[in-house]
Amino acid sequence: MTIRTRRAVLSNSMAVLTAMAFGTGRSSAAGPVEHAVSITGFKFVPETITIAPGDRITWTNNDIVPHTATAMDKRWDTGTIAKGKSKSLIVGEDHLTEYFCRFHPKMKARLILR
Amino acid sequence: MKLRSSHLAMAIAIMFSVVPAKAESAADLNDLQIAHVAYVADNIDIRYAHLALAISQNPEVRAFAQTMIRDHTAVNEQALALLAKLKAEPQGNFLSTTLQQNAEKLIDEMSSLRGQAFDKRYAENELAYHKAVNDLVENSFIPNIDNAEVKALFEAGLQIFKAHEAHAQMMVGKLK
Ligand SMILES: [Cu+2]
Repeated sequence: MTIRTRRAVLSNSMAVLTAMAFGTGRSSAAGPVEHAVSITGFKFVPETITIAPGDRITWTNNDIVPHTATAMDKRWDTGTIAKGKSKSLIVGEDHLTEYFCRFHPKMKARLILR
Repeated sequence: MKLRSSHLAMAIAIMFSVVPAKAESAADLNDLQIAHVAYVADNIDIRYAHLALAISQNPEVRAFAQTMIRDHTAVNEQALALLAKLKAEPQGNFLSTTLQQNAEKLIDEMSSLRGQAFDKRYAENELAYHKAVNDLVENSFIPNIDNAEVKALFEAGLQIFKAHEAHAQMMVGKLK
């Protein structure tokens, strides 16, 4: 029931990740952590974040053009993040990877397993 | 800085045999003339991108073209909103006219190309075009813009167009 509610809140692309994250029951002793990444001047700031499955990452676009945060292997994708908007996703098991912006492939950043 | 700007404007003027009537150098343009050049330059790149979407079958070229439409449209919307706020209208000038005439010729030329020949020409032009516009914005426009908000928008724009230039460079490399 809880999982279903959580899933309904998340968008389609997030649902898979949520399922992966909740399927494992693995998260840090302190519980899931919230991570904020700012997209500013065509950079992900901070460029590297350390995460654990179950954590939530929120990207906020402070540029005037749209961006995305997309796994290099395309396993996850926030979809378009418009100017001034945010998108979140919950970290899945095999979510530990480099990511980039689909619109500006030179923009790259990284998630590292805690 | 001034020297360099006037050289650039002169080079453009000579290249297209345009004899400018009033403002002879890009550095002499006022904020509203500069805004007009930027608006025209943005729209030219959007037109090139629409041509690429009509002709190219290459997924990377198409993705680049879509980014150009998305980003240049966003910058133009921001510019128009700022001009509306400042209750100002962009002013046409010799440089806008020159850019427009140059674009018409290029669109004619590129329209006749197909396949890889088109992709290469489009990518090379995007690289050259962003380089030229960035040079103009960085060295002639930004140092001469009076209004702080207009200047801030051009600084944001320059950052975006430099990213496009690097992206175009990557695309040119892959098409070789
Ligand atoms: Cu981007």
